Amino acid sequence: MRVGSWLGRVGRAVVARFPTEKMNVRDLVGAKEVPAHRMSWAYYLGGLAIFFFLIQVVTGLMLLFYYKPTVSDAYLSVEYLTDAVPGGALIRNLHAWASSAMIGTVFLHLLTTFGMKAFIKPREITWLSGVVLLLVTLGFGFTGYLLPWNQIAVNATKVGLQSVEELRAYLPAAVAEWPRVLRETFQGEASIGQATLSRFFALHVVVLPVIVALLLGVHLLSVQLHGMSQGVDKPTGRAERFFPFFLMKDFTVWGIAFIVLFVLALALPFDAFTAYPLLEPFNALGATPDGIKPEWYFLFMYYPLQLVPFWVVFVVMNVIVLALAFAPWLFRRTSRKMLSVLAAVAIVYIVGISIFGHQIYMLFKGHPL
Amino acid sequence: MSRARTLLVWGIAAVIGAALAAPAAARQEYYDYIRKTSGRPIDCAMCHVNPSGPEGHDAGQIGSLTPEQLEQLKHARAAFDPGQEVHNPTLNAFGNHILQVVGRQRFLDLRSDPARLATELGAISDLDGDGIPDSREYRDGTHPLKPRSGDPGLLLLTNLRRGSLELALILLATVLGLYGLSHLMRGIVAARPAGPPAH
Repeated sequence: MRVGSWLGRVGRAVVARFPTEKMNVRDLVGAKEVPAHRMSWAYYLGGLAIFFFLIQVVTGLMLLFYYKPTVSDAYLSVEYLTDAVPGGALIRNLHAWASSAMIGTVFLHLLTTFGMKAFIKPREITWLSGVVLLLVTLGFGFTGYLLPWNQIAVNATKVGLQSVEELRAYLPAAVAEWPRVLRETFQGEASIGQATLSRFFALHVVVLPVIVALLLGVHLLSVQLHGMSQGVDKPTGRAERFFPFFLMKDFTVWGIAFIVLFVLALALPFDAFTAYPLLEPFNALGATPDGIKPEWYFLFMYYPLQLVPFWVVFVVMNVIVLALAFAPWLFRRTSRKMLSVLAAVAIVYIVGISIFGHQIYMLFKGHPL
Repeated sequence: MSRARTLLVWGIAAVIGAALAAPAAARQEYYDYIRKTSGRPIDCAMCHVNPSGPEGHDAGQIGSLTPEQLEQLKHARAAFDPGQEVHNPTLNAFGNHILQVVGRQRFLDLRSDPARLATELGAISDLDGDGIPDSREYRDGTHPLKPRSGDPGLLLLTNLRRGSLELALILLATVLGLYGLSHLMRGIVAARPAGPPAH
C-alpha cells in the first residue's frame, strides 16, 4: 500500500513536470525568455553540447561508409579512410576533436548547472536526464576508443574492462561473479577480440545514439517547458526573448565553435598527441607497449586508480554519481554560493589531474607510470 | 691445411656475425637517446619495416627475406660511405635515408654521440612532407614517414599555412550562413501575429 502510494506520488510529480497545456509552439518557443545576468554565458553550454553531438552524428555517418568493424580490417579501413579517401582525414579529425569537445562541454554544462542550482523543482527530470546523458557521453568515448583497433585502443580498453573485474574482491560471495559476467557481457569472449569489437561497434553506432536521442528529447522538452532557471541569487530582472534573439546568439556560438573545430581538424591531427608506436595495429602476440593511457576524459579516474586502492576510487566515484543523481533533493537547501564552490573545486580537479596527473603521480610514487 | 680452412671459415662466420650484430647494437644508443630527449615511447618502426626490429621471421625481418632481398641487404651493409644508393629491405625509407646521407660507417661511429646524427641529417629532408624536417622528427621521437606524427605545434602552423584557402572559404560560408539564418528568423518573427512584447 505504501509502495503504491509512493509510486502514485512519483507518477503525479512526473505528470506535473510535463504540463500538456504548455506543449504548443507559443509556450515552448514564442513566449520563452532567458534571464540575463553575469552567468548568462552558461546558458549556451547545453546548446553547444547538442551542436557537437550533431557534428558527431554527421561525421560518424560519413565514417561508417568506410569503417569495417572486424579485427582484420578495422585498422586498415581507418588507415585507408585517413590516407587515401579525399577529405577522410578531415572528417575523422572532426569526429575525434568534436568527441572531446562534446565531453568537455557536457562536463562544464553539468557543473555550471549544478553551481547555479538549476536542478531544483520543477527541473528534477531535466537534471536527472542530464546526469544520465553525461554517463552515456562517457560511454560513447569508451566504446569509440576501441574502434580503430590499434595498440592504445585495444590495450586501454583491456585495462578498462579488467578494472571492472577487480570489484570481485570487495563483493559478498553471492554476487562476487557479477563483475566477471558484466565484463564478459561487454567483451563477448574470454579475451578482447572480434566479439568485443562487434559489441562496442553496435553500442557506439546504434544503442547509445538511440538512448541519447530519447534522453535528449526528454531533456530538451523539459528545458523548453520550464524555461531556463534564474541561476543567480539576485535576479537582475532583465531577460531576452528565446526566439529569435537568444537562439540567434546560440547559432552564432555554434558558428564560432564550428570554425574553431574546423581549424583544429584541418591543421592539428588528433593522432599527433599520441606516440606513434601506440597507433600501430594491435598485436595480440606482442608485449603491451609503454605509455598506455585512457583518453583525457577518463584521467580523472585513471590517476586516482594508480595512486589509491581500487575500492576507495570505486566508493568515491559511486558516491559522486549518486550525489549528482539525487542533487535536487540532497542539495535543496544548500546555498548557490556553496554549490558554486563545489562545482569550481570539481572543475579545478578535473582540469588539474588531466594536465598534471603524471607529475602528481611522480610526486607520490617517485617513478614514472 | 684443413685446419687453416676451418679457421678461415670460422673467421668469415665471425665477421658476418659481427656485421649482422652491429646494427642491433647500434640501435640501442639511438633508441636510448631519442627516448631520453623526447620523453616519448618509440619503437624500431622509426627506421625499420618491422616495429620489432630486423631480427626474426616476420614481415620485413631478416628471416623472411627472399634470396634477392638478402642480396640487397648484403649490398646495403657494405655501403660504408655516404652518398650511396641503399635499399636495405629491413629498413624503411627513413632508415635507408640515414645510411644514404651519413653512410654506414659514420652511423656506427655516431653511436657514441647520437645527437649529432640530427645535425648530419640536415634540415632539408622531409620524407613524409608534413613540414617538419626528418632530423627534427628524429629528435622529437615522432615518425618521419607519418604525416600525422609530429610536434603538434609545428604541425598546426604548417597545416594552417597550407589550408589557408579552405579556412577562408569555411569562414565565409559560416558568416554567410549565420547572416541568412538571422534574416530568416527575423522574417518568421515579422510574419507572425503580434506576440508578447520583446524586452
